[in-house]
Amino acid sequence: MSVLEQYAYSNRLRYVHPAEKIFFVLATLIFLLATSQIKIYIFVLVVVSVLLIGVAGIPVAFYLRLLLLPLSFLITSGAVIALTVTATPDLLLSISLGRFTLGVTREGLLVAAKACLKALASVACLYFLALTTPIVDGTAVLRRLRVPGLVLDLLTLTYRFSSVLLDTAIKMYISQSSRLGYSSLPRSFRSLGYLISNLFLKSYEQAKMLNITLSSRGYQGEFRVLEHPFHLSKRNLILIGLWLILLGALAWPGGGGKLVVRIGY
Amino acid sequence: MFSRYAKLILILSLHLILLSLLAPPPAYAMHIMEGFLPLGWAALWFILVLPFWGWGVKSLKAKVSGQPGLKLLLGFAGAFTFVLSALKLPSVTGSCSHPTGVGLGAILFGPAAMSVLGAIVLLFQALLLAHGGLTTLGANTFSMAVVGPLTSYGIYKFLKKTKVPLSFNVFLASALGDLATYVVTSLQLALAFPAPDTGIWGSFAKFISIFAVTQVPLAISEGLLTVVVFNYLFAYNKEELKELAVLQEKGGA
Repeated sequence: MSVLEQYAYSNRLRYVHPAEKIFFVLATLIFLLATSQIKIYIFVLVVVSVLLIGVAGIPVAFYLRLLLLPLSFLITSGAVIALTVTATPDLLLSISLGRFTLGVTREGLLVAAKACLKALASVACLYFLALTTPIVDGTAVLRRLRVPGLVLDLLTLTYRFSSVLLDTAIKMYISQSSRLGYSSLPRSFRSLGYLISNLFLKSYEQAKMLNITLSSRGYQGEFRVLEHPFHLSKRNLILIGLWLILLGALAWPGGGGKLVVRIGY
Repeated sequence: MFSRYAKLILILSLHLILLSLLAPPPAYAMHIMEGFLPLGWAALWFILVLPFWGWGVKSLKAKVSGQPGLKLLLGFAGAFTFVLSALKLPSVTGSCSHPTGVGLGAILFGPAAMSVLGAIVLLFQALLLAHGGLTTLGANTFSMAVVGPLTSYGIYKFLKKTKVPLSFNVFLASALGDLATYVVTSLQLALAFPAPDTGIWGSFAKFISIFAVTQVPLAISEGLLTVVVFNYLFAYNKEELKELAVLQEKGGA
């Protein structure tokens, strides 16, 4: 079980209707992507973080560490967007490379900073979903949204099996490395190759065993599971509505931040 | 003794190059993170990936009907791909990276199954490992679960007809599958963030050259790893591979 999942099952928003949480996150995400105002990004980031820490009860230190997780992607991609290669040296900071100059411009920096802040605010929204809603509850909502049954079954099966397989993989890894299986590079490749091919065999065997087990209990290709009964709360729906109106109002008078879908930036 | 020092110096200098390029220590396969693509592009990639999902679901449905056991096998195939992406590749450059499972999955389960299983795996990576995202799921699926597997599968099937040795074939298929994924991701980023003066292609050149630092070694190590895995699979699990061929379009893995 991943750490994110432990919180998904134990946070204080666990028994809020999953459809409310999913709607809140998706609507906020789409809003974030559509606006281009830095103040909205910061506002969303702060509010969602406060909700996660204050209402859902996620420890601050853990949450901050989570926010730092995508930093590697942000730094690399942000740097790529900020860097410009031109033949006309008109830059804030630059290194000349023969005919061309590598450097940063004010506009480039601004675009990069905006993209990174936006991504950070969106990641906070993603964490809101990941930390408050277990996958099992989410699939129940997807079923209502008419996602094909086969996909939902595969989703559930993959989810259930992955924890089993992950456990097996970790055990194999520990026993291999305690026998010096990863002491040199060629040996690591060989050990990991053994691990993966054995894991494949294990999954194959497990699938067969499960088929036998299920068939002997009348399995016909359909899974019927009891779902936890959730109740939509009027108060939450109104709050989400107010939140979206507030976001819209914040974006409106600023100009340039209207809900326009633009290809490019 | 000398070779050890030479290796040490080589590793150290590689580390310095990596640090100087601000390359991060954990290099996953390139997933575009949540919120990085503007709304228009995020939507476009979802639309582009829809027909492939339709194709995948349709072909899986046809196979699963009447054979309930296959569904369980597919579930395990998805879990296997997910766990694969959580493993650590032996590091060549000193930075730790994870296999994508693109090539192995495509050869074992076929590209149609991968378009659906890959999307599921990407969703779990976003929700369980905080890697990738919901709004970028379309773009990531397109690069990692559609273009990558199709490339790998195409190369594998094509080279199987020629006299190329199997292990070299598997290496090429999985390494080039990874590279195709990374090229598509760079293109997706470049389209969304064109450079002000050099345009999309200038931006594409920037993305592809900076990400090459982590992605090219990853593709090579994953290619090597897939060869090792395949050698074991062919040596010990031939029967299973034959049964698995049912999952694929024309059969015969």
